[in-house]
Amino acid sequence: MYKLLLAGLTTFLLAGCSDQSWRTTDIGDIMPALDFSLTDEEGERVQGEDYRGKATLVYFGYTFCPDVCPITLARLGDTIRNLDDETRDNIQVLFISVDPSRDTPEVLKRYTDAFGPEFVGLTGEQAEIDAVTNRYRIAYDYGEENENGDYLVSHSSAVFAFDREGQAQFLVRDSHPVSDAEADIKRLASQDG
Amino acid sequence: MANKLSGVLICRACQGIALSALTLLLTTGVAQAQSLEVTNARLSLLPGNTPGAGYFDLQNSGDETVTLVGAESPAFEHVEMHVSSEHNGMAHMHAIESIEIGPGERIEFAPKGHHLMFLRRAAPLSEGDKADVELKFSDEQRLPVTFDVVSPASL
Ligand SMILES: [Cu+2]
Repeated sequence: MYKLLLAGLTTFLLAGCSDQSWRTTDIGDIMPALDFSLTDEEGERVQGEDYRGKATLVYFGYTFCPDVCPITLARLGDTIRNLDDETRDNIQVLFISVDPSRDTPEVLKRYTDAFGPEFVGLTGEQAEIDAVTNRYRIAYDYGEENENGDYLVSHSSAVFAFDREGQAQFLVRDSHPVSDAEADIKRLASQDG
Repeated sequence: MANKLSGVLICRACQGIALSALTLLLTTGVAQAQSLEVTNARLSLLPGNTPGAGYFDLQNSGDETVTLVGAESPAFEHVEMHVSSEHNGMAHMHAIESIEIGPGERIEFAPKGHHLMFLRRAAPLSEGDKADVELKFSDEQRLPVTFDVVSPASL
């Protein structure tokens, strides 16, 4: 009962100050809505609009990355696990691979499952991935192959956040305090749809 | 092959003798090993065969600079030394050949900074397992370290 009251109060407060700015970087006016044409971790063709209805966090990375990507996703997972059940049901994380030759749907599925049910891996043709990275004005870059055929990929370190309608909301950078990111993600996932 | 095997058997049978022999042979090396201490060694790993990351603290209590030049593990085909960095919103990672640890200095291999990159598991490994790793130094000295296999969610 207390939880319900609190949830109601939060909704009321949020509705009362809808133009309150985000603690992280507000991208509402500068980034386009969530849109892409990719392949999900089940091998199904998907569009950005398929992910409307929930708050959506988007991160661009690659599974061969042992440090920055898993740490970033694990921290998002922590933030999500700290939400109450109802709020947690209203958020999803899309991990868009910038390394489609290694990141097949099978590889992505096993990878994202380790972070929680809210995580979905997406891959695609290079041109499809370029369309998404160009849309959000980010870059990625392949390093040279070493003698074992391995290569590293430089990629965007930011987490993009979209509301349930797919409208761009905020961007979490490495330099933002974790508490600010957590507060914004919580607020975004608690918003009424 | 036969030589190696008998070598192992002899070592197991008379570890004490083998150790004193080593001490005599590698006096400088052993002195250094005593002045190097690794703590908090964790190997962050996910299911599947994606690379893992090794994190640890290394304290040099000796009075000479030591140079870490890499690592090896029977549990992985390759181990590389890497640094992650961030510039203008881009996450980069690159291999490094060596890192110096001065007398009394402590270095930290930690998330989003220096890490060991473990490539291709020789056998399945998962959270809760241990992995044997040897840190290699420029003077041929090797420091054995046991890493706890953990999930990145625990870091
Ligand atoms: Cu690395």
